[in-house]
Amino acid sequence: MSTPDTISQAESPETASKRVIIRTVGMKKIYHRGEETTYALRGVNVEIYTGEFIVVMGPSGSGKSTFFNMIGALDSPSEGRVFIDEVDVAQLTAEELAFLRCRKIGYIFQSYNLIQYMTALENVTTPMAFGGVSPDEARKRGMDLLELVGLKERWFHRPIEMSGGQQQRVAIARSLANNPGILLCDEPTANLDHHTGDEILAILQKLNKERGVTTICATHDHRMMNICDRLMWIRDGDIERIARRDEVEVEVGHIE
Amino acid sequence: MMKKIDVQNQPVLPPRRVLQIALTGVKYRLFRATVTVAVIVVAMAFLMNILTESLIKRAVADSVREQITDLHRVDRWIARLSMPQPHEDLLARLAEETPDSEALAELAARGGMSAEDIEALRPKAREALIGLGFFADLDYGRRRVLAGPDESVRIFHRLQDDGAWQQFASNLADMKTLRFPMEPEAFRAFLRGWPELNAQLEAIRGGQSEAIAALRAQLGDTPLMEALRGVDGPFGDAVRAAGFRLAPEEAESLADEVERLDQVLRIEATINNPGVRQKVAALRDVLPGDVTLPMIWALLRDRERADWFLAAMRENGLETGGLTAERLEDLARQRAHTRLLQVAERQTLETGGGLLGIGKRMTWLALVSMLVCAVGIANAMLMSVTERFREIATLKCLGALDAFIMSMFLIEACLLGLVGGIGGALAGFLLAGGRMALMFRALLGQAFPWGDVAAAAGISVVLGMVLAAVSAVYPSLRAARLAPMEAMRIE
Repeated sequence: MSTPDTISQAESPETASKRVIIRTVGMKKIYHRGEETTYALRGVNVEIYTGEFIVVMGPSGSGKSTFFNMIGALDSPSEGRVFIDEVDVAQLTAEELAFLRCRKIGYIFQSYNLIQYMTALENVTTPMAFGGVSPDEARKRGMDLLELVGLKERWFHRPIEMSGGQQQRVAIARSLANNPGILLCDEPTANLDHHTGDEILAILQKLNKERGVTTICATHDHRMMNICDRLMWIRDGDIERIARRDEVEVEVGHIE
Repeated sequence: MMKKIDVQNQPVLPPRRVLQIALTGVKYRLFRATVTVAVIVVAMAFLMNILTESLIKRAVADSVREQITDLHRVDRWIARLSMPQPHEDLLARLAEETPDSEALAELAARGGMSAEDIEALRPKAREALIGLGFFADLDYGRRRVLAGPDESVRIFHRLQDDGAWQQFASNLADMKTLRFPMEPEAFRAFLRGWPELNAQLEAIRGGQSEAIAALRAQLGDTPLMEALRGVDGPFGDAVRAAGFRLAPEEAESLADEVERLDQVLRIEATINNPGVRQKVAALRDVLPGDVTLPMIWALLRDRERADWFLAAMRENGLETGGLTAERLEDLARQRAHTRLLQVAERQTLETGGGLLGIGKRMTWLALVSMLVCAVGIANAMLMSVTERFREIATLKCLGALDAFIMSMFLIEACLLGLVGGIGGALAGFLLAGGRMALMFRALLGQAFPWGDVAAAAGISVVLGMVLAAVSAVYPSLRAARLAPMEAMRIE
C-alpha cells in the first residue's frame, strides 16, 4: 500500500506559492533477510515546502526513523526517489553527500551528540571547518550563534560541564553553523524536563519564523504540535495522514 | 526535474586542524593510549635491545681482535714448533693468504713446491673450505646421515668410494630444504682431485715435521717454553734456520710474552709456600687456608704492597730475580685486562649470521614480537572505533569525508607509534647498554659504536610508527565506512 491519492497534502494558499524543498516519489525501503522481506517504507509521496515546520509522528517500528534517514540524506531508498532541493539524493557521490550534509542540512539529535572533548565553540565551528570557512570567520560566526541560543558566556565549557538543555542549545547552534536550509530534529525535547523543553521549543520556533529554516521534527511531544505548520502521521511504512495545524485543532479536545 | 548540485567538493581540512583534533582525541582517551604506547614500547625495546647488544659485541670484537690474537701468541708458537699444521689450517692458509705472502712462501718451501704450484693449489683449497664449511654447519642428525661418524677432511676420504658417493648424493637429494653450496658435479670433480691435493698437503706437513725434528735435535732436553725465552736471540736464529718465518718484532713480542708468563707462574707458585701464605693471611685478617690467587693479585696492584710482597718472598727463600715492585704492579693490571679480553672472546664468539649479525633465532623472536605488537595495536584501535561510533557518525553528519575519518585514526596511531618507538628505543638502549657495560667494562669505552647504535635507534622509532600505522589501517577503514545514520536513534 502506498500513499493513497485520496490523502491530501494539506496545502494551503500560502504553501501553494512556496517552493518544494524536499520531495519524495514512491519512496520504498525494503530489507531482505534470507527468505523474509520487510517493508520499512511502502511507497511514500510527500512534498515539504520551504520555511515549513513539520512534525512527524508515529509509533515505534512505523518507519518513522527510516523516513527521517531518507529525507536527511543519511540513507537511500530501495525504490523511488528523494529530491532535496530538486537534486536526486541517490545520484550523489560520497563527496557530494558530505557537501549536502555539511551545508544544506542541520541535524539535532535526541542525545545531543556533541563531541565530548571539544568546547562548545569548537563543537559549533567544526561544521564550518568542514565547510572551508577560515578559523577567524568561523570563531566569529560561532560566537554569534552561541549568543543566539543564549550561551555566549559558556563558549569554553565542554559538554560534560553543561546541563542537558544547554547541550541541546549548543547542538542547535551547531546545526545552524553553515546556514542550512533544512533542520532535521530527532526528538529534541525527549531527554529534557518540561521547562527546558519549553525553552528549546521557543528557540526552534524563533529560528523557523525569523530565518525561514525548514524544520522537520520527529517527536511524541504534544507541545510541538502547537508551533508547527503541518503534521504527518506514519504507520506501518505508510503515511497515514497529513494535516495542517488548524485542521487538526478543529477537532476539539483531542488529537487523532 | 533533476538539478545538478553546484558542489565544490568538500575542502580537505588543513593538516594542523586534523592534528589538533587527533591530539585532543588522544588526550581524552589517555589511559587507552598509554596502554597502546606501552605495547609498542615493549616490542621496540626488545628489538632495540638485541640490535644494540649485537652491535656492541661486534664493535668490541673488532676492537680487541688484535689483542686477543696476541693473547694466544705463545700457544700458537708452541703448537707450531711442536707439530705440523692440521689439514684444515693449511687449507685455510692457502685460501686466505694474499699471493706472494711470506706465509705462502714458507709453505711452498716446506712442500718442495714452486710459487706457481702453490698458486695452483689455492682455488682447490677454496673449494675444500666450502665443503668443510657446509659439513661443519650441519646439525648433528643431518651430519650423521650424510657423512657418517667422520668429520672434516676425513669426510672427503670417505666419499672417494663410489658407493659412498651414491649414498651421499641420494641422501642429499632427499633433504629438500638443504642446499649444498656447490653443484653436485663440481663437488664430485673436486673429490676426484682430492687425493692429489691431499698428497700435496701431506708433503707440506712432512716438510714441517722435518723442520720440527731438526729444531728438537738442537734443543735436546730443554723444554720448548724455556727455549722460547731466548727467541729474540740465538734461539730465534735457530728457528729461522729451520725454515720458520719469524720477524724480529714478532720475536721480541714473543720473548716478552714468554717472560711474562714465566713471572706470572712464579708469582702464582708462591701460594704453595706456607710462609708467604701466612703473611698474606695475617695482612688480610683471614685464615691461611682462605688465601686465594685473586687475593694475592689484588694485593699486588698497590706499589707498597708489591714491595712488601717481594720482601715476603725473599724472606721465605723464594727466587725474586727479575721481579720489581713496578713489574708486579704491571702484571697485576695486565691480568685484569687479560681476563676482560677472555670474557670478550667468549661472548663475541656467536656474532654473525641473520640480520645485522643478530642470529636467526633472534631475528625470528623480533619478528614474532612485532607481530604480537601489531595485533595488540589493531585490537586497541578497533576498541576505540567501536566506542566512538556515535562521534564518527555525528562527524559525518556534519560533513566529514571518509578520508578525514580515516586520517584521524591513522594520525592518532602514528603519534602513538612515534612516542612508543622513542620510548622503546631508549629503554632497549639502556637495557643493552647497561648489560654490556657490566660485561665488557673498560673495553667498551674505547669501542662504543655510537653511530651504529644511533642508526638502530632510528630504525626502532621508524618501525614503531610504521607498525602502528599499518595495524591501524583496518580499524580506520572500519571507522570510515560507518554509516552516518548510526547517529540517529529514533525510537
